Amino acid sequence: MTGLTVQMIFLVFFGAAAVWFGIVVFRTHSMVRSALALLFSQTAVGALFLVMQAEFLGVLQIMMMATEMSVMAIFMVMFMMDPGGLGEMDMTHQKRLSLWAGGIGLLAALMLVWLPDWGPVALSVPGAHEQAQALGRELLGRSMLVFQSAGLTILTAMVAATMVAIVPNAEQRK
Amino acid sequence: MILELMIALSVGAGLFGVGLYGALSQTNLVMILMGVELILAAALVNIVAFWRYLHPDEPAAQMFVLIVMAVMAVEMAVGFGIAIARFRVRGSVEMEEARELKG
Repeated sequence: MTGLTVQMIFLVFFGAAAVWFGIVVFRTHSMVRSALALLFSQTAVGALFLVMQAEFLGVLQIMMMATEMSVMAIFMVMFMMDPGGLGEMDMTHQKRLSLWAGGIGLLAALMLVWLPDWGPVALSVPGAHEQAQALGRELLGRSMLVFQSAGLTILTAMVAATMVAIVPNAEQRK
Repeated sequence: MILELMIALSVGAGLFGVGLYGALSQTNLVMILMGVELILAAALVNIVAFWRYLHPDEPAAQMFVLIVMAVMAVEMAVGFGIAIARFRVRGSVEMEEARELKG
């Protein structure tokens, strides 16, 4: 079996896992299971990155999503009226419209994937070490302004989220 | 080799469709955020696939992935901030009940 065939098998496997766990997120009534399904879906996406030889991004995705989804699971339990899903509460609306929108979005995206001619495909990629080195040079060189803007945006979002979430005291309420 | 690119992009399309359905059909703010996360994951898969199979020598593509990851983190932080604020006031994060801004 050639290396490419193995890569294709893993692409199909992790791709199917990512989409399947994505579907499970909205199929289960238990919010904790939803958060875990999203964690597995995002982990499968990280594994897809590893299969596509983007080692740094794959590991980053898995580490970041593991933390993010753990936080999300805690929020789920805190905010949901029925986090365990025992009451079989329906928390959906406009189901038919959403199904149509999702289906049309999927079909449009698939057409965009399968109809164009993508041209010649690269057979090899730089090694993990070269990739990390090139990314570091890119971030601290040509794309430094973009990278710094992203950092500033995250900082602003952190401050904004904290300001929105803190309890206003009696004086501020006046 | 082109088939691998197609498979990866099709996975992105699948995640986009599922995420769009979830973001539109759910009434709970946290579940809506989950749908948006899936849509952003689809964008990530597409960018990495384009980098791997079309332009592997271009590190700017990987930089785009980092930017999308930053967007995911920002979306979560602001979304949860709003969820906490709303939960304090109304005791729920059901978006069906959020009609204050409706004219």
